[in-house]
Amino acid sequence: MGTILIVTEIQGGKIREASQELVAIASGLGGDVKSVVIGSGVGDLASEFASKGGGETYVADDAALANYSVDAYNKVIRAAAETSGADLILVSNTPQGWDVAPRLAAGLDAGFVSDCFSIAADGDGYQFKRRVFNGKLDAELSSSGGTVVATVQPGATEPAEGGAAGSTTDLSVDLSGARAKFVELKAAEATGVDLTKADIIVSGGRGVGDPEKFPEVIQPLADVLGGAMGASRPVVDAGWLPHPYQVGSSGQVVSPKLYIACGISGAIQHLVGMKGSNYIVAINKDPDAPIFEVADIGVVADLFEIVPALTEAISAAKGG
Amino acid sequence: MKVMVCLKQVPHQDAKLDISGDETWIKEDNVKFEINSYDTYALEEALQIKDADAETEVVVVSIGPDRVTQALRTALGMGADRAVHINDADADASDTLGAAKVLAAVAKEESPDLVFTGLMADDTNFSALPPMLAELIDVPSATGVLTTELTDGNLRVERELEGGEREVADLPTPALAAVQTGANQVRYASLKGIMQAKKKPVDVKTAVDLGLEGQVGAGAAKVKIDRIYSPPKAEGAEILEGATGDVVNSLLAKIKELGLL
Repeated sequence: MGTILIVTEIQGGKIREASQELVAIASGLGGDVKSVVIGSGVGDLASEFASKGGGETYVADDAALANYSVDAYNKVIRAAAETSGADLILVSNTPQGWDVAPRLAAGLDAGFVSDCFSIAADGDGYQFKRRVFNGKLDAELSSSGGTVVATVQPGATEPAEGGAAGSTTDLSVDLSGARAKFVELKAAEATGVDLTKADIIVSGGRGVGDPEKFPEVIQPLADVLGGAMGASRPVVDAGWLPHPYQVGSSGQVVSPKLYIACGISGAIQHLVGMKGSNYIVAINKDPDAPIFEVADIGVVADLFEIVPALTEAISAAKGG
Repeated sequence: MKVMVCLKQVPHQDAKLDISGDETWIKEDNVKFEINSYDTYALEEALQIKDADAETEVVVVSIGPDRVTQALRTALGMGADRAVHINDADADASDTLGAAKVLAAVAKEESPDLVFTGLMADDTNFSALPPMLAELIDVPSATGVLTTELTDGNLRVERELEGGEREVADLPTPALAAVQTGANQVRYASLKGIMQAKKKPVDVKTAVDLGLEGQVGAGAAKVKIDRIYSPPKAEGAEILEGATGDVVNSLLAKIKELGLL
């Protein structure tokens, strides 16, 4: 077993929980675990991570690294990779991870696998499992030796704190030549639609078919339940509903008491946004839709048969 | 101004997927193909730059077998000027890094000011190719791009982060953007566009033409797909069947049970 390098990520002034998930994977695989922490004024965070399973933790601490930027961070991670001699480099599959990890892999002429939910040792290399076809099928991939960069699906693994105490080492990297520049962060627009507060959400997906069907079919069910209407990403991409209705990793992450998904296939980024719901009902014509994997109750039927009938039945039950 | 747009032709999003005999991919025989949805947004972004400056040349590039010609003609019909088709079994059998090497070789010949492509492909969902390509041609890159603003020598982008937050970054050109879905509203090819597309050039090349003999293909791949399979069904999902009335009654009972009525 070789050396594993964990690339941590800082969010909101703290190391993300996803980085602790990488510790769980690394310690499960065995071998020598090292880490890298990148930012400005992050010495304490690095020491803490080293004590929680980060192993020998490289610290790249520089004002120029205060905000993520692809060229600068790539230079640092590359330096950490080369210094550590790691044959497996783990990165969380976040907007930062998917931005830099493939560049790192190409620069190292290494193998690359993204969004894994499972990694196992396999002879000289590793075996990886991930979803393909927008969540409809699973895939097993393998590397046969040599360095591999793997991004890991956040939330697919329980975070853990590794055993042995680590140490920190300063990593000084020449950042001149970094071309991409961070300009600013723009906060999400504040809108009146806060799905995170709704007890019941009725969401529509691409299966709803056209924009008028949202106010005609989906909204009435939400209304009669006293809930809110939501949507999957393709609906918003198509301009049928504005972004505030989007449920998913790049929209709102919700956990209502009841989530009813209508005509939503269940791509990963949508599931991330609603799988924490207390009770999930999925209605979809396609029996293979990935949404049925997280649903408590599945209805394989035409939503235009079920939803209006359900709306009417609820209305009658309420005496309306 | 030259914008190179990398497209991938993928099985239609609603295609029924049957696993192939060797279980390493899906059966392609009766599958309808389309341009990867993410790439259509990348192409639209390039065409909007061309709308603003008619001197812009938009070159679309794709790796794949004969059927890819259809995707390239569609892109030409939407307004792209020229196409390059890498029609080579080796290039097609490459892993992502191999595909990136092929596209990097095309980029070296084309010397574009901008390279646009989709964030990921609807089939593999690897989201690896764009940053790899950028690294190989040594240009700054950004993924999950929702807006682009081109000024003299600079591409300002907004990258999608989590929860609706965005990061604004400046990329000195030449630069690469991996575009996210919903970045714009993708145009349809007009009838006139489709007719004109028939006369636009489609250059067909192989890996050997690009000087990549032996460097791409299954043999050079560092990572391979061993198996594709249906995910094991979660135990929990109770599937309701039968007449609409019965299904609705069961749902109603459940909602009452949850105390939500």
